[in-house]
Amino acid sequence: MGYKELTVWTRGIIMDKEGRDIVNSISASARLEGKYAQAMENYVDNPDRTNAPTRKYCRVSDTILENELTYENEHPNIVVLVEGTMVKGWDYMRGMPPGGTLVINTHYTPDYMIRFVPGAERLAQLVCVDAAKLADHKWLYYRLGQLGLDRLSTEGAAERSKAIAPDIAAPLIAAVVKSTGIVKRETIEPMIANKKAFEMALNELHILPLKPVAA
Amino acid sequence: MSTKGTRIPDWLAVPFAGITPAPTQEKGQDLFPTGNWRSIRPVYRDKLPPCNNACGTNEKIQGYLDLVKRGKYLDAYALIKEDMPFPSVTGRVCYHPCEQACNRGQYDEAISIRAVERFLGDLGQALPRDVVKPGKPNGKKVAVVGSGPAGHSAAYQLARLGYKVTIFEKSPKAGGLNRGGIPDWVLPQDVLDREIERLVELGITIKTNTEVGKDISWEDLKKNYDACVLAVGLTEANSVRAEGENKEGVLYGLPFLRDIGMGTSQVKLGPRVAVIGGGNTAIDCAREALRQGAVEVTMITVEGNPQEMPCVPEDLHDMLEEGVELMHGRAMTAVVGNGKVEALQLFPAKFSGAINASPITINRDVPAERFAVDNVVIAIGQHASLSWLPAEFKSERGSIKVDRFGRLGDTNFFAAGDIVQLGSGQPLMVVNAVGDGKRVAFNLDKVMRGEPLQPRKIAVDVLMDLNRMNMTYFPHFPRVKQTLLPPVSRRKTQEEVIQGFSEEQAVEEACRCFSCGTCNACDNCYLVCPEPCIARPARSNGLYKILVDYCKGCRVCIEECPTGCLEGVPELDFDTGVVRMDTAFAITPGLHGRQAQELINLANRPAKQI
Repeated sequence: MGYKELTVWTRGIIMDKEGRDIVNSISASARLEGKYAQAMENYVDNPDRTNAPTRKYCRVSDTILENELTYENEHPNIVVLVEGTMVKGWDYMRGMPPGGTLVINTHYTPDYMIRFVPGAERLAQLVCVDAAKLADHKWLYYRLGQLGLDRLSTEGAAERSKAIAPDIAAPLIAAVVKSTGIVKRETIEPMIANKKAFEMALNELHILPLKPVAA
Repeated sequence: MSTKGTRIPDWLAVPFAGITPAPTQEKGQDLFPTGNWRSIRPVYRDKLPPCNNACGTNEKIQGYLDLVKRGKYLDAYALIKEDMPFPSVTGRVCYHPCEQACNRGQYDEAISIRAVERFLGDLGQALPRDVVKPGKPNGKKVAVVGSGPAGHSAAYQLARLGYKVTIFEKSPKAGGLNRGGIPDWVLPQDVLDREIERLVELGITIKTNTEVGKDISWEDLKKNYDACVLAVGLTEANSVRAEGENKEGVLYGLPFLRDIGMGTSQVKLGPRVAVIGGGNTAIDCAREALRQGAVEVTMITVEGNPQEMPCVPEDLHDMLEEGVELMHGRAMTAVVGNGKVEALQLFPAKFSGAINASPITINRDVPAERFAVDNVVIAIGQHASLSWLPAEFKSERGSIKVDRFGRLGDTNFFAAGDIVQLGSGQPLMVVNAVGDGKRVAFNLDKVMRGEPLQPRKIAVDVLMDLNRMNMTYFPHFPRVKQTLLPPVSRRKTQEEVIQGFSEEQAVEEACRCFSCGTCNACDNCYLVCPEPCIARPARSNGLYKILVDYCKGCRVCIEECPTGCLEGVPELDFDTGVVRMDTAFAITPGLHGRQAQELINLANRPAKQI
């Protein structure tokens, strides 16, 4: 497998923990499989502001990771957008080498979403998963537009539940695992709290295979 | 951190790290286009207020109330005239379904829409020239049969579209039901005359004393005109089929009112009058009977109590104030007397079904009641006289058979008003006939121009209800009441019972309007936006703009919109509004690049410049 970088783009406060769960669980499973892995949070992005974009990073390698001081992924092979609207907002494709994977949490199809992706020619696959619906999370994510209560609080999401991936992170992890094979399903599944959503997501992914062109 | 009042060297001027201008300052927003924080976008979308929807002719009620509120009475009058040819008439006679639907009715009291309409109608009557102009002549001739509300409305709209319209009216005066079915103390004749004059000013020819089937035939209409609107109304009174109904002193509701309205009445009422029926016409008959000299008027209804009567509660209340007695749960089975009415034979009765139109069950086991009267007025509805109409266009319920566009088969004949709506389940009222006339006129125009007919569509979703509005902004405020003549004096005169609004009252009442679902330029969104990202060149509906590069989608404007016209739409539904940044917080590489270059140059600057 060699060396892979994973960058998760999430939103401050309301989806902060979900992003963290994805990078933590993937790097932890990679270590269980005998690989070398790192997982970092990014505090430059100011994650304590509601809705502000926040990045989480993860690196997985067969050989020892010598880079321990920089935490930003310069060349992410896999990018996860925890909230679908982010597809319009940032250049999350920056630095992606050809043959990358983009995973988006949205109820739209990949055919619709690809119009918003900058530099889509570098993608080998575009994966859409309706994580909010699969995790059956009604009050927080399902109708994000009408959510008011939690977005106005500054309470950290971690206080709600200490379990890993109790909510929309579970289907997103499933999407990453199934579409890229970065870690094995058997190693990561025991860590996931919301096993039902994880399993449903494995069957209900929308994967759009693409032909990557060297940038 | 603000840079205001600080002298900053050019090369340190914004944008520079650490010195962040507030978004309110010049170029402040350029620094951080936070539009990509947004997952929903606020969108101004006017919805249909329930009053507009309930109105038979879909008057833009919210629109004219808003204009009255701002003192633009003439604009308001022009707006009302788009859908309603005679606001001064409906402002007096309408059964105001709009007020029943008014969202304010669920909050405190409904807006007195009818009174404001009357204020505007009276204003229009006082104008030397009407605001409405006839359309550019298109050379087509249309005949309208009947000058009642539906015919009046159809002729008015057709004249505005440029047709040469001729109205045929069988009575000596134009006005139809407006003149013949509505007493003077509700609608003074001079008000109606003025509205008829307005029609003539539009270039419409009115031929009175011309009855279709007698003076003009179906074939004449077909031959001499490009199209025809039949709005003949229901002219024949229903009978109760009681024994001895042909005796002297038995009167029928609508002819009784019509003869008085046309000034051809020969009737002299005795002191005791009974009115059979519980509808609005029956109420008008009972009140008219008092004014025609009756002393005791009793209303005999099959309905068991006043709440079940199919009438407007306010009119019922006014009638009881004038001293009319009610007698419920009785049916008249015979008129007793020697050639002339002396008494009525009554039996207990009730409707066999749940609705008032269901058959009546009479209990003949108990002894009959004898009710002494001098006159009886039977007002239990009307039917049409359609002997002149080809049989293929008659429906089994005694009305004209039309398709959903009001068209008779594929002819150029259209029909509108009560003659179509009878038995359709729709209440027969002036405003519904006006709306029908209007729609038929537009459909006729489409047929004339060879365009396909399409039904009017309203998505239920856009009908505004109270739950979607922010009620914090609306204090409770009582309805402005219209003054009434005192019952004792009004029951003997033909003077108008309900008085109109003064200007102050009309404005006060218009100010109570919630403006449900429609932007009324309250400026609230403009004020509450925490980032200044709502812009407007002037304070007016339709001119508010969201700066999508900066709007964070915080929903404050949506939550705070009093009328609910602002709504949140998922950002991904829009192809536009992409604000792409390279990283999470750097806007463009150019900006940071510039800063970086300035920092590099810093070392090369002479010390005195720093």
